[in-house]
Amino acid sequence: MRTFVIELRKEKRTGVIPLMIAIGVLGAAYAFVNFIVRKDTLLNLPLAPMDVLLTQLYGMIMVLNMFGIIVAACMIYNMEFKGSAVKKMYMLPISVPTMYLCKFLILTIMLLIAVCFQNMALAKIGVTDLPKGTFEAHTLISFAGYSFLTSMPVLSFMLFIASRFENMWVPLGIGVAGFLSGMALATSEIALFMVHPFVVMLKPAIAMSAQPDIAVVIVSMIETILFLCAGLWSAKKLRYE
Amino acid sequence: MNYIITTEQLTKKYKSFVAVNDVTLHIRKGSIYGFLGPNGAGKSTTMKMLLGLTAPTNGSFTIDGKQFPTDRIAILKEVGSFIESPSFYANLTGKENLDIIRRILGLPQSTVDDALELVGLSEFGNRLAKKYSLGMKQRLGLAGALLGRPPILILDEPTNGLDPSGIHEIRNLIKSLPDLYDCTVLISSHMLSEIELIADDIGILNHGRLLFEGSLDDLRQHALQSGFATDNLEDMFLSMVEKDNASRKQRAKL
Repeated sequence: MRTFVIELRKEKRTGVIPLMIAIGVLGAAYAFVNFIVRKDTLLNLPLAPMDVLLTQLYGMIMVLNMFGIIVAACMIYNMEFKGSAVKKMYMLPISVPTMYLCKFLILTIMLLIAVCFQNMALAKIGVTDLPKGTFEAHTLISFAGYSFLTSMPVLSFMLFIASRFENMWVPLGIGVAGFLSGMALATSEIALFMVHPFVVMLKPAIAMSAQPDIAVVIVSMIETILFLCAGLWSAKKLRYE
Repeated sequence: MNYIITTEQLTKKYKSFVAVNDVTLHIRKGSIYGFLGPNGAGKSTTMKMLLGLTAPTNGSFTIDGKQFPTDRIAILKEVGSFIESPSFYANLTGKENLDIIRRILGLPQSTVDDALELVGLSEFGNRLAKKYSLGMKQRLGLAGALLGRPPILILDEPTNGLDPSGIHEIRNLIKSLPDLYDCTVLISSHMLSEIELIADDIGILNHGRLLFEGSLDDLRQHALQSGFATDNLEDMFLSMVEKDNASRKQRAKL
């Protein structure tokens, strides 16, 4: 808990927390505006109203979340490398892996807040704009959980990458390359491509149903844990030289 | 003798380059130990090993009877350090930077102001660290090392980047520390003239090898025996280094 509070204090003026809140608000605003402008077109699609609400708006929200995660992960470690602050941390009686874990938790909580903002907007649209009796709160909650879980591999991967490179442009470049290659591979039927964390995050965006895919959920959880363990291990093993 | 830091044949190799070669040090409790050597002699590498920033290739060391990596946290709780350039969070003020260290060390709030005052940075505590001048950053790094007045201080060229009055001020501060709160200081420099003014004991390092270890009086005695004037140890230090460099070249030829 002490390390978590210390990590939160370090975030002051980095912009990580305002960025993730902005991502949540922007995603919510996008959902509102899009549904107001395209309401009739969207509701005339040959899909169930809940599928329309959740899958047709998620694409842009997912892109916002993805770029939010990439930039926030880069920023959360850039402040450690700028001014060589991390070197001081290695010389203090603090567990560097715990520090890494706290950064992971901060990003996860901020992403959760952003996802909550976005889904509150979707809930509001569902209650007011979907045909009467078609809004299902449990479907919304399960899709929110599904989209959050599928975003976690990218968060875990990007934090690991950001912790390894002192030059912020390297993880940023890897993030952009991950997004572009993920876009290219997301529609493929080949299951092996799911080892790519960005492909996993894109899966709910290309689906036509709001029902979570259990295989994608399992892969997401495995990848999240794997990248987290890799980050914790390297934080412990690799010293500052 | 009551030694607080001892190293035993400490060696660090980077591929074929030997940065520190079989260095055995003895640092007395409550003393100021000057670690002297030209640039690239291996002073910083030795200090980094003592702080666990890099692992020794060979040899071992103890700090207050504790060893790395088993007692890492216990050692770092006792050691205030400043290695190479100052390390700080650019997005935080000087005070906030020290507050992060204070929280890690579990010290009371008052220690931040105390450390800022010790290094003469009180009036700039609320300025962002990225806006500090080089000298102020150096003082902030030193304040971070002095926070909570730790029993052991490891300072790597702490007066780098300071103006002459700053050097004088920091030198006096370091000199007063063992009397102020009974601490041991390991300080490195490439200038004997500077070390001479504050250190009780001296270790001279060149190309990773320890050429001399002893008290200042021992060094003066050594100078006398080698035909140098005792009031100009700088000449003796330079000749010692040159002699070692020459013998290294000769060994390399063979």
